[in-house]
Amino acid sequence: MERIFWVECRACHGRFYCDYSLRSAGLQLICPFCKDTFLPDEATWIDERTRQSGLGFRV
Amino acid sequence: MPKDLHAFLDQLRQLGPEELATIDRPVRPADFDVTAILELLTRDQRFPTLLFCCTEDLHGQPSRFPIVTNLFATRARCARGLGLPPEQDKMELSLAYARLERSQLPAVTIPVGEAPAKQVVCAGADADLGMLPIVRHFEMDLGPVLTMATIMKDPDEGFYDVTFIKVFYKDLPRRGGLTIHSPHHLRIAKKYEQRGQPAPVVAMLGHHPAFSLGSLALSPWGTNDYDVIGSFLGEPVRLTASETWGADFLVPADAEILIEGLIPPGEKEICDPFGEVTRTYQPQGLKQALDVTAMSFRQDAILQDVFSGHEEHWYLGSIAKEGSMFNNLERQHGCIKAVHLPNSACGRLAAYVSMRKEREGIAKRVGMSALMESWQFNWAIVVDEDVDVFDEQEVLWAVYTNVDPSRDVDVLKNQYNIFHSAAADQKVIIDATRPLDYAFPAKINVPQTALDRIRLADYGL
Repeated sequence: MERIFWVECRACHGRFYCDYSLRSAGLQLICPFCKDTFLPDEATWIDERTRQSGLGFRV
Repeated sequence: MPKDLHAFLDQLRQLGPEELATIDRPVRPADFDVTAILELLTRDQRFPTLLFCCTEDLHGQPSRFPIVTNLFATRARCARGLGLPPEQDKMELSLAYARLERSQLPAVTIPVGEAPAKQVVCAGADADLGMLPIVRHFEMDLGPVLTMATIMKDPDEGFYDVTFIKVFYKDLPRRGGLTIHSPHHLRIAKKYEQRGQPAPVVAMLGHHPAFSLGSLALSPWGTNDYDVIGSFLGEPVRLTASETWGADFLVPADAEILIEGLIPPGEKEICDPFGEVTRTYQPQGLKQALDVTAMSFRQDAILQDVFSGHEEHWYLGSIAKEGSMFNNLERQHGCIKAVHLPNSACGRLAAYVSMRKEREGIAKRVGMSALMESWQFNWAIVVDEDVDVFDEQEVLWAVYTNVDPSRDVDVLKNQYNIFHSAAADQKVIIDATRPLDYAFPAKINVPQTALDRIRLADYGL
């Protein structure tokens, strides 16, 4: 499974997730709820935990 | 008359509202009206085709285009779409599909002036995706998404590849995003990308269901999909010149709506999340961009949509795979009774296979072969021939009764599946056949002679 990370939109606080390739790509994410755009590091919450057991993720 | 979506809807209309329900009340597709109605009907186990006559476009204006959806939501209706009796909706349907898949009927080309799909043409700045009543399906979707077939042409061999991919509306009139899962579409797009050339692509929003079902046939690379689809329609696909590329790229003349565009090399768009077939959202990612060059449609065009992650989406994939999978497994093993891709696995992630078992070890081989049939499968469950693979309770009974987890479950690691699930990197074979190599209990049954002798009516039942 491709690795993902969750973010919380800084504008509307809606939470959605992204392919991990966007984590450090320097591209702005688009909030599906309010269309605000922001970099991952600008999110008000981020969950990028990786799987601790089994096979890990493809990145 | 050539087969088209209108002709099939007329056929369904004769059968009543259980098959085609027409809704005149206005709906806002981009605000979840359509999918909310579909979801409530699904929870009520009702699966009519829905025709929304009064829709709103993406500019908030009344749209000229009705929406039809849920067309593939029952196997019986899919059977009708292929010209079969609706009661032949299980393995008969899958095997009929496999027969049609192996045949071809060459397409024919007709003049643009005779093509219904060219009755109205919008090119350049007039080709505005926002004029369409595009459905936004699920809460976390990035936006409205077109869910129907797309067409690409191989630049070297000249064959056409038809499959289903998603087209995202990107809040600009002529800009979209594409999320391509189909290996052949990806391969064609990559050829153009490597040459630094824009790749032509056409989205087709609506046609006869046999066209849509046929477009999902697992044809080998190099096959002209228009010719295979002709086999499913039972008549040649009628093609005509496109607006953008003329006779160099032929498009279905009897389609409802055609969107022509180019995938610009090196340009990407943020797409997704989108609620996928597996009932989870695809994560947001960087995908192919689409520049729309032209749109054309019938005067009375209907926009067709698929209710993703629900019955019609599952059947579109499962019916297309079951028959060919049966044929391939039977050729290899000679003992296959039936194959089913269950809705519980979204018609994609698991395969149930029943077989005549004569010795230990064969079921595992059948399971391995089954997993090779699609990269989408993570699970193969093999059962005895007396287990109906279309009856999930029977299949799970076999699993819970016959499986010794220490020897009958095998996991192949470091695999791949584009769909997200905890098992996506693994393939699992479960041999749920009755063991033959040690004393094992028998399944209960009432004697067949008694069943044949008794008529319920004689007992007032």
